[in-house]
Amino acid sequence: MSVFADILAHRDLLANLILRNLKSRYKDSILGFLWSILTPLFMAGIYLVFLRILARGIPMEEILIGVFAWQFTMQCVFNGLTCITDNGNLIKKVSFPRIILPLATTISNLVNFLLTLVVQFALVAILLGVRGQHISLASAAVPAVILVHFLFCFGIVLFLSCSNVYFRDLEHLVNVLVTAFFFITPVMYSYGMVEKIAASCNLPVLAELYMINPMAVIISAYRALILPDVVFPFGAGTVVGAGITLLFVFPAYRIFKKLQRNFSDMF
Amino acid sequence: MNAIEARNLSKSYRLQGSEPPTMFGKLHRTFRREKPNLLWALNDVSFDIRQGETIGVIGPNGSGKSSLLSLIAGTTAPTSGIVTANGRISSLLELGAGFHSELTGRENIFLNGAILGIPKVTLQKRFDSIVDFAGIREFLNMPVKFYSSGMYVRLGFAIAVEMDPDILLIDEVLAVGDTAFQIKCLARIRDFQRRGKTLVLVSHALQTVEEFCDRVFLIHKGKLVGEGKPAEVIFKYLKSYMGEGGGVHAVEYGSRDVEITDVRFLDSAGAETGTFTTGESFVAEINYKTKVHVARPVFGFSIKTGNGFYVFGSNTQIAGCAIDSIEGQGAVRLKINPLPLMQGNYFLSLSIHSWDHAIQYHRQEDWHPFVVKNPTQEQGVFHLNAEWEINDRGR
Repeated sequence: MSVFADILAHRDLLANLILRNLKSRYKDSILGFLWSILTPLFMAGIYLVFLRILARGIPMEEILIGVFAWQFTMQCVFNGLTCITDNGNLIKKVSFPRIILPLATTISNLVNFLLTLVVQFALVAILLGVRGQHISLASAAVPAVILVHFLFCFGIVLFLSCSNVYFRDLEHLVNVLVTAFFFITPVMYSYGMVEKIAASCNLPVLAELYMINPMAVIISAYRALILPDVVFPFGAGTVVGAGITLLFVFPAYRIFKKLQRNFSDMF
Repeated sequence: MNAIEARNLSKSYRLQGSEPPTMFGKLHRTFRREKPNLLWALNDVSFDIRQGETIGVIGPNGSGKSSLLSLIAGTTAPTSGIVTANGRISSLLELGAGFHSELTGRENIFLNGAILGIPKVTLQKRFDSIVDFAGIREFLNMPVKFYSSGMYVRLGFAIAVEMDPDILLIDEVLAVGDTAFQIKCLARIRDFQRRGKTLVLVSHALQTVEEFCDRVFLIHKGKLVGEGKPAEVIFKYLKSYMGEGGGVHAVEYGSRDVEITDVRFLDSAGAETGTFTTGESFVAEINYKTKVHVARPVFGFSIKTGNGFYVFGSNTQIAGCAIDSIEGQGAVRLKINPLPLMQGNYFLSLSIHSWDHAIQYHRQEDWHPFVVKNPTQEQGVFHLNAEWEINDRGR
């Protein structure tokens, strides 16, 4: 049976697990779902204040788009790490396609992301409106970027969830790597800044290399589509980066498929 | 048609599991070139199970019974060999596995149902009967983390019995729950059999295996060492392997001036057996051999249930059956007719000692296991000759 038929046959389970993830995330917290919006807003606020001190000229709407997209990826990273290990009891006792667990984790985070996007769009529209600008018509293509972003996140969840079963060190390692990942991704700054720095070092190739990072491609794409003044940085690096973003899910799935055989022996 | 087929099925586990599976440990082991220490939970097992058959799996603790069930269920992958199952498989062992503690009872019914593969329509239709069966109606909208453990298990069971698989795997259901729960489980098993489903049952309750199964597999140290009619396989198990892990308190001691050489259980037809029936005759033939001339020996016996309850004990002295002396080889027969024991696993202890109890020649404590089955619906540990008298005053 192909993996798609397998997933389709277990769609009830998938739907229930997505619901479980969404319901349990904010159970017992007073603000509940609001936290999904408050967290990126606080983050955006903090960056804005500190960046005003360090450097000027990063538009707030770019930061907003960056932090919301970044939050989706990070929730996938941290929920993905534990989505198999937290369900050891289930894995050991019940037989079902294991891919349902990472898929449910990614989809529930996607649902959460889509809900926060409504708020993000409203805020960006207000910020642009103050300056007499409007959200770009190209925003209509944002769903395509969301799909690519989703596929990349699914790849990350697949890879991290199965690797963490065998190497629990990963949880600690990922904490460190995520910090580095954050600084090489244009979340709290714009790609324009990267170009400026590369140019000042007389090494424009740096700006090319920078775009190999899938998250740089994704966030740049969101910004270029939503904001009227931002141009998507086409180039050799971008092509490589986009390729990685699109294709990462395939090797991740292969690894997951190979490692899932002995999941139940590890609990 | 075969419901389950296994060919050269093997499963090994690494014994170094005590170390945490960290990257450092892994590297360390790689550099020291340690060969993984393997435990073969199952070793080259092949069998066919036909559709509609009920198979019992017996064997000492740690022989690989549960591993076999996990392999059939598909929760574990075999190290080598293949096992294929035709039809939907469920197992009656994951009561409450997959409950999410933060979600309410109502939400968990649907979540757990989906995990067990029960269609949503069935769950909606059977929702009220699940809730009533579990007796949690007042607590439906409460997160299950506030449930008592009894409520938790009852809800898990109420959902699990709604499963309608082609193949049902059962691992020691009788080991958990109270009597009412066990009776419900057994009724459910009968129901499955009536509907022509395939069942694989792992149990230490040998009388249940004898009662329910068409065929029995005997597993020992990962190997399939016996297969066939329940009575025959159970007999082989009792005879060869049960002493190893089953009879924990089995001890043997004595001066061995007189030695018990062989004990054979005989049924009412005089054939050697390991299984008796309530109300029919029980015979234990005890063969002995003496080294010296022994005057006035006493043969004693006692019977305990599988969980150590002392049922009865006596000896030739108490029974007024004095033996003058014995020398060389001989046999004594212990007869109980009709056998008043109810269904269960039992242990026979034997002893040969001197008239004044001063010398134990040979004593075998909890040494000889046997099984009693009871074809009736009667319950309990001991068969009482109860009768009813109906008077007509009420008419």
